[in-house]
Amino acid sequence: MTRHDEFRIQVDKLTKRFGSVTAVNDLSFTVEPGVVTGFLGPNGAGKTTTMRMILGLVTPTSGTATIGGRPYADLPHPSRTVGAVLDSSSFHPGHVARDHLAVYCRMGGYPLSRVDEVIHQLGISEFAGRKTRGFSTGMRQRLNLATALLGDARVLLLDEPSNGLDPEGIAWLRSFLKGLADQGRTVLVSSHVLSEVEQVVEDVVVVRRGELVASGTMAELSSAAVAAVVVRSPDDERLAEALRAESVQGTRATSVERLEAGALRVEGLTTAQIADLAAEHRLRVHELTPERSTLEQVFLRLTSDPRESVR
Amino acid sequence: MNRLIIAETTRLLSSRLWLGALIGALVCGGVMIGGLTLLGPENFDPPMPGLDTEEGVRSLLGMLSFTVFVPAALGTLAVTSEYRHRTISFTFLFEPRRWRVLVAKLITFAVAGLCYGAIVAGTAGAALYGGAAARDITLGLPGATVAELLVRLALAMAAFMVIGVGFGALIRNQIAALAAVVGYLYMVELVLLAVPGINAVYPYLPGGATASLTGFTYLADAIAEQTSGSSSTLLSAPLGALVLAGYAVVAAALAVAVPLRRDVT
Repeated sequence: MTRHDEFRIQVDKLTKRFGSVTAVNDLSFTVEPGVVTGFLGPNGAGKTTTMRMILGLVTPTSGTATIGGRPYADLPHPSRTVGAVLDSSSFHPGHVARDHLAVYCRMGGYPLSRVDEVIHQLGISEFAGRKTRGFSTGMRQRLNLATALLGDARVLLLDEPSNGLDPEGIAWLRSFLKGLADQGRTVLVSSHVLSEVEQVVEDVVVVRRGELVASGTMAELSSAAVAAVVVRSPDDERLAEALRAESVQGTRATSVERLEAGALRVEGLTTAQIADLAAEHRLRVHELTPERSTLEQVFLRLTSDPRESVR
Repeated sequence: MNRLIIAETTRLLSSRLWLGALIGALVCGGVMIGGLTLLGPENFDPPMPGLDTEEGVRSLLGMLSFTVFVPAALGTLAVTSEYRHRTISFTFLFEPRRWRVLVAKLITFAVAGLCYGAIVAGTAGAALYGGAAARDITLGLPGATVAELLVRLALAMAAFMVIGVGFGALIRNQIAALAAVVGYLYMVELVLLAVPGINAVYPYLPGGATASLTGFTYLADAIAEQTSGSSSTLLSAPLGALVLAGYAVVAAALAVAVPLRRDVT
């Protein structure tokens, strides 16, 4: 057991059914200590339910979720070990921000000086004395994070922290997460938009319909990006035939797809190989564009419903 | 447990709820009793015995028991607002042993209920004596007995605040919980009181137990008279106190036990 094992989150065969609806199905993954892990998937994929099960707020139908080998409720100092933001707004509207923090500071058994520390850390001193009733989404999110950091926990679970934030707020959140990561904290941050977290996360866990689709490092996810070439040609039908039938220098197209009249999407061949083949058959080519499959496309392909994308 | 009680006290004092409760206590206690004393029960419609009689003083103070819905509603609000404003997630994250949170709430609000009761009873007593002095009436009940009645009322207030906390933890939805608490006290019990046969259990219901604790049977008598049925005999005061305490304990036990495994989504 290494020094940081006490901060590893282990989700093991987790299942949750709400009546006849299965929100999470046989889900297993590990969140490594000391890194930022993106928990990705479309809305309704079961991310929130999974996070709530890790935190003991929702009881799993079966399976376990542990932090350092223990269920959340059995941690000796829960709020000192794990901080979490789950709802976009969870304040009494009549409380001023400082009082809200004071309640949870007391509840966690921390000295009241922590309130001023997190107010400073999150840069919210401007509105710390205002009632939460009139807070903007950005202010609420900062107050949420301030609450989660009261115990200076080494593990943070953040559910869609970028939801509703304006571009400036998202940029701020990114640098804030980066800062947390640099301090060596374990962060599990969920999002339905990969681009919002892709610059800060090292690992990813991708879910769809409550089931695991992919997990690993960002690099591994990137390698799943397949190179493709878009070919524009007035002779597209004959070119497609040739691409399907013949190999060029021993390689053959793995996929030839007609996008629209006069355009093909080819996987498995380079632009040069396609041009040579076209020349051999005396077919016209007007455009050859290598398509760089972005992570976002990989993500969308992973999370799109196979039943909806039958070609 | 101390840190949780301090946290709940901080939570209570940070919002305006306590100010509302204080105003409620003053209105239900001093203002109401003061006003009725100055008006004089003999001038009520229908007239009630005057304050120079024992029955007159008992009836007037007994009216305070009409206001037990206020502490009950306050206790209900205290718990349901956590669900309504979704602070319950943070609360159960900071203390995942949920029963401890609820025990802390019960202790906090039992104390708050006693304070509420003390303010109601204290201002009511002051208003009663002040009003009587102003009208130059000698009260028909010795001071020690008045004080005892007021203490019993204060205890009833505290019990109802605890019952309210239990209701809130059980029902969670603020509007539904408030409707259940107030609706029960003002509708269901009155209906039961009027039904022959069923009204035999009235002494054991919260309202009946409160009536025996506070010695205020005006309502029970009036309804019994109208329905020309036999007035159900109330329990003795200590027994009434015991029954009411029993309800508070049951409410508290449910408040601690029920949220244990419920999903917080």
